[in-house]
Amino acid sequence: MRLIKSALVAGLIAVPVLATAQSGEDALEARHGYMRMLAINMGTLAGMAKGEIEYDEAAASTAGANIAALSQYGAVALFVPGTANGEIDESDALPAIWEKPEQFAQKFTAFAEVASGASEAVKGGQDNVGPALQKLGGTCKDCHDDFRKPE
Amino acid sequence: MSPVREARRARVWDPALRAFHWILAALVIANWLLGQFGPNVMTLHFWLGYSIAGLLLFRIVWGLVGPAPARFVSFIRGPRAILDYMRHLGKREPSLWPGHNPLGALSVVAMLLALIWQVGTGLISDPEDFINVGPLADQVSSATARKAVGWHHLGGSIILILVLLHVAVILYYRFWKNEDLVRPMITGWKWVRRR
Repeated sequence: MRLIKSALVAGLIAVPVLATAQSGEDALEARHGYMRMLAINMGTLAGMAKGEIEYDEAAASTAGANIAALSQYGAVALFVPGTANGEIDESDALPAIWEKPEQFAQKFTAFAEVASGASEAVKGGQDNVGPALQKLGGTCKDCHDDFRKPE
Repeated sequence: MSPVREARRARVWDPALRAFHWILAALVIANWLLGQFGPNVMTLHFWLGYSIAGLLLFRIVWGLVGPAPARFVSFIRGPRAILDYMRHLGKREPSLWPGHNPLGALSVVAMLLALIWQVGTGLISDPEDFINVGPLADQVSSATARKAVGWHHLGGSIILILVLLHVAVILYYRFWKNEDLVRPMITGWKWVRRR
């Protein structure tokens, strides 16, 4: 009985450890994919703001909605320990992410707040895209400044 | 009264060069602070950067065709002249040098190069925030544009060091060598050695 209990406890401890150990590369890949998806939609809005892409209300609104949807995804969980710059190839994540987890999470909260209104904010004309994009991009910069290696 | 017997007052810095110096100082300090502590939307930082680029262009032209004390060929000297000048650097007496001295010339060149570097890396930087992208970032590869952000940060640190060194040396001349180098940059007149 005691042996079974011990084995059970050991198993419960080991599973998350194993999961973490295996998921470092997956998490990194997922992070990059997540940022790439954000970039595609931000790129649509940036192109419209600069007049390089013709303004299309539906397309702008969709980009805003996509960004809002992505902001609701729990991206913070993808920053698993052992995936900082220097610990794993291709990572630009600074160790500060794991040293100041609350501040890091706060950056995503701030992003989600701005993103929640993005789909509506970019409606009604090309002139509305710039200000909405600046609010979104500001939250990108704010986090990159503190938590991403500038290379 | 002249500070020493063998000195006379001479017109060293022309008005355009003095205006250039103080506007550049103000813009570089303002833009450094904006870069470090300014708003996330860096529109003003960009505009001050373009203004600094214009000032640098003026200084290069002035260094080629301006009055003698402003010209590169008249103040950029070889290692012998620099070592010669440095032998008197510790002495508690004014240099009475008519313009940029051979050692100070290195600082002028370093600052100009650092600022040109800063303008160049700024223009091609892409910090991937979609709002503060340098106007020439699409002319280079995205990897280069990403790296340029780091180079731009490095440039900011180098400029800070050069500016602090400049101010420290001005204070050293003022209090150790008893030579005021600030007033000449305001009035254009400086005590120089009689020849």
